[in-house]
Amino acid sequence: MNYILEGLIKAFQLLVRGDPETFSAIRVTLQVSTYSMVASLCLGLPLGFLLGYSNFPHKKMVRTLVDTLLSLPTVLIGLIVYAFVSYRGPLGELGLLFTLPAIAVGQTILALPIVVALAATAVESLDQRLHTTLLTLGANRRQFLLTNLWEARFGLLAAGVTAYGRVLTEVGISMMVGGNIKWHTRTITTAVALETGKGQFGMGIALGLVLMVIAFTVNLSLFFLRRRTRH
Amino acid sequence: MNQSIYELRGIKHCYGDLVALGIEGISISSGTITGLVGPNGSGKSTLLRLLSFLEKPSQGEIYFRGNRIESSTLSARLQVTLLNQEPYLLKRSVMENIAYGLKVRGKNQGCEGRVQEALSWVGLPPREFAHRQWYELSGGEAQRVALASRLVLGPRVLLLDEPTSSVDATSATLIKEASLRAREQWGTTLLIASHDWSWLNEVCDEVLHLFRGNIIGSGMGNAIFGPWSNRSDGFSERRLASGKAIVVTAAPNEESVAVINPGSVSIHTDTSTEEVQKNALLGTISALALQKRSGKVLVTVAVDSIYFHAELSDNEVRDRMLFPGRHAWVCFHPRDISWV
Repeated sequence: MNYILEGLIKAFQLLVRGDPETFSAIRVTLQVSTYSMVASLCLGLPLGFLLGYSNFPHKKMVRTLVDTLLSLPTVLIGLIVYAFVSYRGPLGELGLLFTLPAIAVGQTILALPIVVALAATAVESLDQRLHTTLLTLGANRRQFLLTNLWEARFGLLAAGVTAYGRVLTEVGISMMVGGNIKWHTRTITTAVALETGKGQFGMGIALGLVLMVIAFTVNLSLFFLRRRTRH
Repeated sequence: MNQSIYELRGIKHCYGDLVALGIEGISISSGTITGLVGPNGSGKSTLLRLLSFLEKPSQGEIYFRGNRIESSTLSARLQVTLLNQEPYLLKRSVMENIAYGLKVRGKNQGCEGRVQEALSWVGLPPREFAHRQWYELSGGEAQRVALASRLVLGPRVLLLDEPTSSVDATSATLIKEASLRAREQWGTTLLIASHDWSWLNEVCDEVLHLFRGNIIGSGMGNAIFGPWSNRSDGFSERRLASGKAIVVTAAPNEESVAVINPGSVSIHTDTSTEEVQKNALLGTISALALQKRSGKVLVTVAVDSIYFHAELSDNEVRDRMLFPGRHAWVCFHPRDISWV
């Protein structure tokens, strides 16, 4: 038990002292997750809206495919991205391997199905009477679409928050395509995995605590969003 | 005579194989109040959806103020607004809900004052309600906010689809008053689908009776549903739960609907020899209402589960001492029946 207690004390010391290595991992995590979330939201929200709102041939098949991609393992995404960005891969010339953009690409692939599927569900679950109401109040096509998006805002936000939680806590992609390079591509999760392997519990616990705080904040906001959508 | 605001020609509207509406032609005058009555599924809501340009008829033409209208015509939609039985409120405050229609029209000036005025029309104190959220309202309050969001637009046509059927009595009264005020204020044409016969009878210039998607007449007609069975004397009859029978001329088929004009129905507190030769059905008077157009009194009598309406003069009502709750005989001749 002693080593766990010592680890906890060390963790607080690292956080309070502002240990550069610990804070580098936190910075990298926040930076790369921001990239991937911006990309997945920009792509995923319009796609999710289209999927939820419009009817087109084979819509059910597309929906099933998106739902299947929800359970895509991170190591598989890591493998695919690695295959593309490695020096022998089709995008090898871009020199993306072991860089933050490579991790962001992988995390975008991870988050995209979550955003699309949950955004589509949010739009699908809009009350049918909303359409009649907007038309009868005189909304034109643009106002109709924007109001629909606004009415689904809590569901769309929940989609973003859920995807962020997944991106933040993944380890497979960051490890495989980021390479876990100290000061450069080492994220919170890869650092925890490495430090635990080395028996350095202090840094592992410190980063774990930070991750917990971020995850708790994210989930708390999701809880409040869900409560509002119930009305 | 007022100019026609709507003219419908050869309308047929289908949902898949189901013909929901079939109207050869009707014309609705500007500034009038028209009631739509009929059982559930008779096509009232479908007609209102077509008149609000939410849907395009499968066949036929709708003329609005003399112009042929396609369902997508925004300029026509901006003049007409529909209030459904169960309205939807946007997930915003009451103020934003009511102001929505004004904002999409770009009428932002004096918006707050107009919203407050609309709120007071429907009996909701603006100070108390303007900043409430959509989930902080009761069913009746939500319906009134929905009506206010239509009234604030000062619409040329206000279509009401059973606006009072799912609200409390106070809300119903306020909704009725506010709707009528729109006509007084802006000369709004009102079309009201409702089961509240006495209200429609009181306020409407014309009442259209719909059945199975067809207009089967105007005025407060009596519709008697089957099943009909044929008698040996060439008449048909429908047995009531009490054992009494309604006798009519030979029914075209078992499920036909017999319609009888209220003018052909008489109400008596005793049965004379003459009346006994006709249908004479004992029931209870449930309502008396003054008809706006004819000045006659519409007497409603419940016989088992069937409501009969009869048009009588005020003298007849007074002389026969007819009042709600009194037992009375509903009398009509089988030959006065028409079939749909």
